[in-house]
Amino acid sequence: MVGTVGAARHRGRAGAAFTAGLLLGAAAVFTSLAALGAAVSGHAVLVVALALGALAVVSDALGLRVRPQIHLQVPEPWRRRMPLERALFLYGLLLGTGLSTYVPATAAWALPALCLALGSLGAALAIAAGFAAGRALPVLALAARGGETVLAERPQGLRLLRALAAAALLCALVAGRVEAAGTVAPNANDPSVAGTDVAWQEPGVGGFLRRAGTAAVQLPGDNPAIGATFVVWHAGPQVTVADRATLAPALEDTIPGVQKLAVSRSWLAYRTPTEIHVRPVTETGPGRIVVKVAQPATLGRPALGVDLVVFHRASRDGSSITAVNVVSGRRMTLRSSHDDQLLNPSLLGGQLLYVRSSRCSQQLVLGPARKGARDRVLYKTAPLAGQDAGHDPGHTHQGERLPCPFRPKPTTRMLWTTALSPTTAYVTVLKPGSGGRTVPTLLAVVRR
Amino acid sequence: MLSESVAAASSRRGFLARTGRLLVGLAGGGFVLEALRAQKAEAFHFCGHIYTTGSCPHPVGLPRIDAKGFPLRAADGKPVDDLGRAVDRLGRPVNAKGALLRDPDGNPLPPAPRTRVCTRAGREFGFRGQIDGAWYRCCGGHIRKLVDCCGYVGNRINGDAALTGYCYSGRRVFCVMYYDTKIKC
Repeated sequence: MVGTVGAARHRGRAGAAFTAGLLLGAAAVFTSLAALGAAVSGHAVLVVALALGALAVVSDALGLRVRPQIHLQVPEPWRRRMPLERALFLYGLLLGTGLSTYVPATAAWALPALCLALGSLGAALAIAAGFAAGRALPVLALAARGGETVLAERPQGLRLLRALAAAALLCALVAGRVEAAGTVAPNANDPSVAGTDVAWQEPGVGGFLRRAGTAAVQLPGDNPAIGATFVVWHAGPQVTVADRATLAPALEDTIPGVQKLAVSRSWLAYRTPTEIHVRPVTETGPGRIVVKVAQPATLGRPALGVDLVVFHRASRDGSSITAVNVVSGRRMTLRSSHDDQLLNPSLLGGQLLYVRSSRCSQQLVLGPARKGARDRVLYKTAPLAGQDAGHDPGHTHQGERLPCPFRPKPTTRMLWTTALSPTTAYVTVLKPGSGGRTVPTLLAVVRR
Repeated sequence: MLSESVAAASSRRGFLARTGRLLVGLAGGGFVLEALRAQKAEAFHFCGHIYTTGSCPHPVGLPRIDAKGFPLRAADGKPVDDLGRAVDRLGRPVNAKGALLRDPDGNPLPPAPRTRVCTRAGREFGFRGQIDGAWYRCCGGHIRKLVDCCGYVGNRINGDAALTGYCYSGRRVFCVMYYDTKIKC
């Protein structure tokens, strides 16, 4: 390929055609894999992709033979029968797929698997761009130097390239793992997000607000929520609506039994032990009761969209996430389950984030805020209970039926409240403390 | 049953079995005989079960239920919800010591669904599950009630043909559960 580009009369145009082909081929394959991954992504796919990535790191770092290889070449006659730019574009297209010829490093095999596991078009495009650049740059550089045989004569160059690929892949794997769920604040619960601001509650301490790039400041109340230009908190039954920028109170009211708050441009929602109320943010008074339950059923923390309030209802009969249009009063059950527990939804731009706790896993999931829409998993952790052997000791396995296809290693850490920003999903993890109390930690998960 | 007894008593295999037991009894005494009897019960996957029909789907595995058909953890008889967590009588999750789990504000954590095991089997496999009859065996020193989950089904949970068992009105056994009573035996 170095020779073909080097032989072109207009080397720049030839190089550009080759690079464009590479980019297009790589983008087509990797985004297709990402789209497929978004549909079929799961724990197994991720584990396989990570295993392949680790294998590729070891292989390239140690300079092991690259396996498997596809024993094909690009069609040589094209360079003679077509205009050279067109032939180079098509060569680029074939090489860009990464699946049509020999690959110089094992890392090339890890990339499609990672695309599939990530299931993100943005990430796939970034990987495609990196892959195309990795294939184009050596060709262009050597063509400019006129050194077609340099790599063959001095294999140290290829060895260095593979070591760099291993290092880059290792960095990506480690960064991905770190980014999968980063701690925002210990002992922090009930996140609320608006733009780049994040508010949360520290149990026994109070509410905090962290603006972009600044340290968190304590608010003069508990259970803060932010939305539009407002921040709202309460001190006992005294609820304060304040300006988010200056924290200057705009409205104060007394609401007996208030526990949780949500605020938007037009509305204030609050939860008491058994009810959720909504009212215009500029008015006082109890507002309208949106939902009421009888204990032991519980209502989750409300979240507000433009004119929607969403909340969970959990009982022994099932759990559901409901949205109520506060203008029309129309009620929609967005998600429901007789088997799983659906908890603490958040809304942003028509997207719904919530916790789905099932028999075999706990998941933080994101999906369109409409009934029956498909969700995708942003973060997944172990289930809250293990399983027994399925048969009595000393008895046969025949006839046993276990709840999970694999033997789960249960956790006592429970996914809890959520918040959603354009780039990040937030979730609280509750860790059991003494006497049944739980200690929260606020995690941030990158949306993809 | 009578014919089986006669055959067992008169066949060569029956004779060998009896002779074998006698020899073993002479050699090892009652302990070994008891062990041989116990092995007979181990042919099926939990004590008292006398056929190959599989367990009903249960949050923990072994299909132990309470008197009303809700799931219990087989190991200790504690009630569990559909997530497999130990719960109190209102379905709220509790810790290993039985203390109510609370959120950081001190409120009890919300209950998860808790479904009768036979009802859930019916929901999962597309029929209306119900309990018709049961049989009893002695297991672990207590009377165990073995319960059929019945429905208008052609196949049982194993995937092959379902039998009538302790089901009535044309219903057949889809899967099995058990309830451990406190009656000693």
